Amino acid sequence: MKMLVVEDERGLAESVSAYLTKEGFICEIAGTYAEAEEKIYLYRYDCVVVDLTLPGGDGFSLIKSLKALTATTGIIIISARNALEDKIKGLEIGSDDYLTKPFHLSELNARVKSLIRRRNFGGHNEIRFQEIQVLPNARKVYIHDRETPLSRKEYDLLLYFLSNIDVALTKASIAEHLWGDDIDSADSLDMVYSHIKNLRRKLVEKGAADYVRSIYGIGYKFGLS
Amino acid sequence: MKLLTKTNRVYLSFSVGIYLLTALAFYAIIKLVIYDEVESRLLVEKRDFEAYIQAHNSWQGGYFVENKISVIPVTNALPTEDFKDTLILNRYDHELVPFRELTYYTRINGQAHRVSIRKSLIQSYRLIEVITVSMVAFLSLLFLCSFWFQSRLSGQLWQPFYNTLAKVRKFDLSSSTPLLLPAEEITEFNELNDVLQKMSEKLHQDYQSLKEFTENASHEIQTPLALINARVEQLIQSETLTESQSYWLDEIYRASRRMSKLNQGLLLLAKIENRQFADVDLVDLYVLITEKLYDMEEILQHKQLRVFTKGTATFPRMLPVTLADVLLSNLVSNAIKHNVTGGLIRIESTTDQLCISNTGPAPTITPDRLFERFKKGRDATASISAAMNDTEEGTARHYAPTNSIGLGLAIVKQIGDSYGLTISYTYAEGEHRICLR
Repeated sequence: MKMLVVEDERGLAESVSAYLTKEGFICEIAGTYAEAEEKIYLYRYDCVVVDLTLPGGDGFSLIKSLKALTATTGIIIISARNALEDKIKGLEIGSDDYLTKPFHLSELNARVKSLIRRRNFGGHNEIRFQEIQVLPNARKVYIHDRETPLSRKEYDLLLYFLSNIDVALTKASIAEHLWGDDIDSADSLDMVYSHIKNLRRKLVEKGAADYVRSIYGIGYKFGLS
Repeated sequence: MKLLTKTNRVYLSFSVGIYLLTALAFYAIIKLVIYDEVESRLLVEKRDFEAYIQAHNSWQGGYFVENKISVIPVTNALPTEDFKDTLILNRYDHELVPFRELTYYTRINGQAHRVSIRKSLIQSYRLIEVITVSMVAFLSLLFLCSFWFQSRLSGQLWQPFYNTLAKVRKFDLSSSTPLLLPAEEITEFNELNDVLQKMSEKLHQDYQSLKEFTENASHEIQTPLALINARVEQLIQSETLTESQSYWLDEIYRASRRMSKLNQGLLLLAKIENRQFADVDLVDLYVLITEKLYDMEEILQHKQLRVFTKGTATFPRMLPVTLADVLLSNLVSNAIKHNVTGGLIRIESTTDQLCISNTGPAPTITPDRLFERFKKGRDATASISAAMNDTEEGTARHYAPTNSIGLGLAIVKQIGDSYGLTISYTYAEGEHRICLR
């Protein structure tokens, strides 16, 4: 999977690229409009992460030329502008998702993966991790090939974990992933805790190993280690 | 009062005053001239009479017509000579006729006599009447004409001013159409238009740069915050963190997220103040608030809050959809945040008000300061959640006091102020109640 990160803030671009590289993507960085334009003309990317305000040009016009070149490339906008008009405009001209800065890297990663899943498998896809199998299209979870019913939030939580395997996830990022940005934090952190407790219980009951590990002061990690 | 009405009124009263004074003066002058004439003629007749007496040394009458002279013997002659007005009955038609009379004393044949010589004023009076009537007619005509002309003229003269006024009134700062005022013939209006045009351009520029500034400032602040977040997220992947290091990282992480929220909140306030949300729609706030509560179902369950809605009427208001959403989200989260476990939330909607009440401890700051920025009461939620939270790591204490950024109700107030909603707060019988009117 080839990715292009178009972001003028060097450090942020590096962070995103490092995070995604660790997740198994081949990542390139473009810091200016011209650089990004050159790269999209020369290479093909499966997914492009674009900042809207770029030196030398507007992210929207970059998206337009990208869409004209390769319509199948997935596009995720990352912008500091939280305006509804920008979001609508972005989706109208063909981007697939919109993240407002500051965002969680784990959230971006989950969105990239979900986008690629939708693009590449035409919906007929599955996620496998050890004995856990998820069919995102049907929103069904199987453990040892037996269906395990989960609540909507528990399912979202599991998918978020499966998108970020062996990654320390902060409670705030989990809360925001599940309930969005404007929910009050104290309550949502409590709810994250209880949802994780329920999810673990359900998975273990159906015979899965307990892959969730809590990290002191930070949050949780899902994985083998 | 309109300017033209005012000038017309002043002009009218001033003209009537002047007109009356002129008429009086004119009357007096004419009268004076006529009397002067009559009196000099009487004096001439007196000389004629004297000459007659001297020649004949007696008086038989006949020289003068009837009523024109009367010679009455008196005992002693006074050395006076005076004029006066008198009325004498006409012999034929029994009408009183005005006369001017010269009375003096003289001796005829050694006998003292009082002589009164008279002259009829009837012709002169008629003259005064005719002059007065024609003068009144002409002056009134002149007066009416000039009044009509003056009001027409000033109406036309002031027309550019009214045009300008209408255009300035229509001028909308947030729209991109500039204020265009035509060049006028009259220097003052031209200057006025010039000044207004320059002022509106300046305003527009300031508004634009303010708008850009708020947006750029937001961008410039959010990007470094995104970098901090990203770096912290990378850092926490490290396996070798000690407990205190993770604690510090978590603090940094949460502080930067709070700053970002704060920045977004302030930006939103600035945008509402600048009226950057242009498109208003009819939004039914009652329907929207029930939807909001439905969205928050999980958290309501989590805090074991019961919701009662009593909608006797819808509550449609004109405001931007985005802001309606923000307004109600803030009100609902506020009602959840400052609630107690097992408490309740009540929504009441009537034609003229929409109220949201929630159970909770009494406010620690005065109600009228509740809507100010960064006014935070004691954070009720924190204590409750800390008490009921038994997370395995025991980290609840870290989350306690830093949840609220203290802008929620300020944003509510600002939206209300900008879109004509009155927002009131009361606390009674353990319930906080916020009403929109």
